[in-house]
Amino acid sequence: MSPASDGLPPKATRWQRLRSFFVERLGLESLGALAAKKRVPIHGKTVFYFLGGMALFLFAIQVITGALLSLYYKPSPDQAFESTRAIMTEVDFGWLIRSIHSWCANLLIGVLLLHLLTAYSMRAYRRPREVTWITGVLLLGLFMAFGFSGYLLPWNQLAFFATRVGTAILGAVPLVGPDLLLLARGGENVTGDTLARFYAVHVVILPLAVFVLLGVHLYLVQKHGMSIPQSVAAKAGGEEKVPTMPFFPHFFLRDMVGWYIALGLLAALAALFPPELGHKAEPFGSAPPGIKPEWYFLAMFQTLKKLPAHIFGIEGEVVGVLFFGFFVLVVLLVPFFDVGASQGRPRRCLNLLATLAVIAFVVMTVWGLME
Amino acid sequence: MKFALLSISLAAILAWVVAAASQPGEKPAPLPKDKGPLKENNCTACHGESDLWEGEKRRFHVTEKDLAKDIHWQKGLRCHDCHGGDPTTRHYPSAHDVEGAKFRSIKSPKDIPGFCGHCHSDIEYMRNYQASPRTDQLPEYWTSGHGKQLKATGDPQVAVCTSCHGGKHQLYAIRDLESPVYPTRIAKTCATCHSDPKVMEGRKYHGRPLGTHQYEEWQQSVHGKALLEKGDLSAPSCNRCHGNHGAAPQNVDSVANVCGNCHSKVSELFVKTRMKHRFEQVGLPGCATCHGNHLIRHPTDEMLGMGEKASCVKCHGEGRHGATLAGAEVARTLRSQLDQLSQLITQAEAKVAEAERLGMEVSGPRFDLRKAFDARVNARTLIHSFAPDPVEHALSEGIQTASEVEERAEAALQEHTNRRIWLAVSLVPIAVVVVLLLLYIRRLPIPNS
Repeated sequence: MSPASDGLPPKATRWQRLRSFFVERLGLESLGALAAKKRVPIHGKTVFYFLGGMALFLFAIQVITGALLSLYYKPSPDQAFESTRAIMTEVDFGWLIRSIHSWCANLLIGVLLLHLLTAYSMRAYRRPREVTWITGVLLLGLFMAFGFSGYLLPWNQLAFFATRVGTAILGAVPLVGPDLLLLARGGENVTGDTLARFYAVHVVILPLAVFVLLGVHLYLVQKHGMSIPQSVAAKAGGEEKVPTMPFFPHFFLRDMVGWYIALGLLAALAALFPPELGHKAEPFGSAPPGIKPEWYFLAMFQTLKKLPAHIFGIEGEVVGVLFFGFFVLVVLLVPFFDVGASQGRPRRCLNLLATLAVIAFVVMTVWGLME
Repeated sequence: MKFALLSISLAAILAWVVAAASQPGEKPAPLPKDKGPLKENNCTACHGESDLWEGEKRRFHVTEKDLAKDIHWQKGLRCHDCHGGDPTTRHYPSAHDVEGAKFRSIKSPKDIPGFCGHCHSDIEYMRNYQASPRTDQLPEYWTSGHGKQLKATGDPQVAVCTSCHGGKHQLYAIRDLESPVYPTRIAKTCATCHSDPKVMEGRKYHGRPLGTHQYEEWQQSVHGKALLEKGDLSAPSCNRCHGNHGAAPQNVDSVANVCGNCHSKVSELFVKTRMKHRFEQVGLPGCATCHGNHLIRHPTDEMLGMGEKASCVKCHGEGRHGATLAGAEVARTLRSQLDQLSQLITQAEAKVAEAERLGMEVSGPRFDLRKAFDARVNARTLIHSFAPDPVEHALSEGIQTASEVEERAEAALQEHTNRRIWLAVSLVPIAVVVVLLLLYIRRLPIPNS
């Protein structure tokens, strides 16, 4: 490489030469220009912008800890529990990795739910960000599926019976319920086939789907920029007049503060409250008392449990499943229901429904936890 | 099988009653004036009539209501199936077959076993009611203390079939919860005679007075409590050791050695010891020498050694029955090792429980702790071999396992402490970085758009 050809001065340092090597080949200049150009609006709700980055950070932790766990985990009914126990007791820092993976999954769902609510509150889904919203909702669904499939993997009593109850709910879906049940379980009952299936879904199918959707989501965020609440824009006299800060390094440094705090919180939770392993699953044993799903499924579980056996002559569980299916559809299509979003017209009906949904979620979750 | 015995017993009672009523010289009771049309079974037309039976003859009064709980009656047997006669007539001589020989009468309690055995010893007949009926009760009964006494003396107080299986014409199936021989009730049934000083007065067993203390003692025993308080139907009552109809269960040379029927491992060890032969030489009963017979307490480690509550000290302390001081020393050593193992198990269990409480994964040590428990159970069993080597071997295995479990639990507790220390250590740099970042952010000016 001659100085004339790479544009470097004759006395360029080794570091400058190395940087030049990668800049030329990877097109880092355009990325750098993009990063330098990207700005984040500053207003009273700027803190909400951190939630997306926080979710990304937690997802990265999940990928790393999940990869480490997969080095020792053996997805078969004979070895799943034993290998998990070995991770907890014999592998160096195995307990910490599993504990962080478990707690991080919960934090990630919590952060995503908050991200969804704040995006709703800021009307961030309004034109042209409808697809960003939809991919975000779908991502939340995928991460919940991560939680559901991962719950069975330790193959303990609680996980086994909770999965049996959880997958049985799929069977209540009208028309395709029995087929969905077979698809989820890989047979009539929860068996080793279910475990293999859940493992494949957890480590192959869901990650692929997440990477695709996340790619689209991030691309759209980059393309459309951060959404500014209409009230903030109106107060400033237009979106372009709202003050901003550079993403690098200003917003990124603030993001890092949140990540470090999350890391500390994760370390504390993992060290002080490691998840229990319980007893190995016994398919022919009796179900342990107080079977409950993870907290983010608890509201749905509790609602289905408390529904009467029949509603208007239809099985209560079927009505419940239909209701939740309808609810997810409404959430997914919120940008299209809020027809006055671009004009800044109020959305009283949607707000009422959203408030009711949040209250119902909290009440049913607390009720489920207390039972 | 048992209900068939009951059916015979019912028949016996009824036959006895009828026979007694038809003693020569006694005037038959007059027939009731209006008993309606003849039925298939007309016995109750007279025997169910309360007015006809007074005074001594009152015992002949039997109604269908009385019979309702009787297993024989429930199975469809009627009076004549046991007693004979013709139930289709109300003509007294024909009904009681006075002229024929087909009426089965009971002249004394001595006749009852044979009366019941008429059907209950007939395997072909009993197969009508059970696929594999037992039909050896009668011959077994004659080998029992009761049977021998009855045959020899005809003593009317000696227990016969009807004494245990139910009251007058109310003979229960043995699995009936109301049956006097149901596992939870049979001891009390035996006690109706064996705890009655009047009935037991003068009665002897192997030359010694029988006494009336057995039921009371059994109630306080580990077996009695298991059966009566915990409802454990596998716990032995009187019949499990003394036999149901015979003197002792099969394969047992004497009641003193009956324990081996359930405690087979212990028995197997004991019969091979010199101790057993020595016991026999000096006339001591086997297991009962140390454990007692009716008042068998839950065995504890205190029974071993030379302490106040130890069994060994009774002979080895005073050199009775040729017991040696060397034996006393062995007992002391084994007790000491057993105590050491128990102490180690307690310590290890406490540490495992503490580690579990703190959320540490100690299912492995918890599982291995069971091996230490098993070793202790094994050692306690092997004590009945009265040979120190196998006991010491089992104890040393248990001691080693318990020590290892304790070490692992201790390591888990230490790990828990370490985790907290490392958490604190890791939070400090995180906090420092956060503070530095915040300070840097504060100093970093935000350029205009």
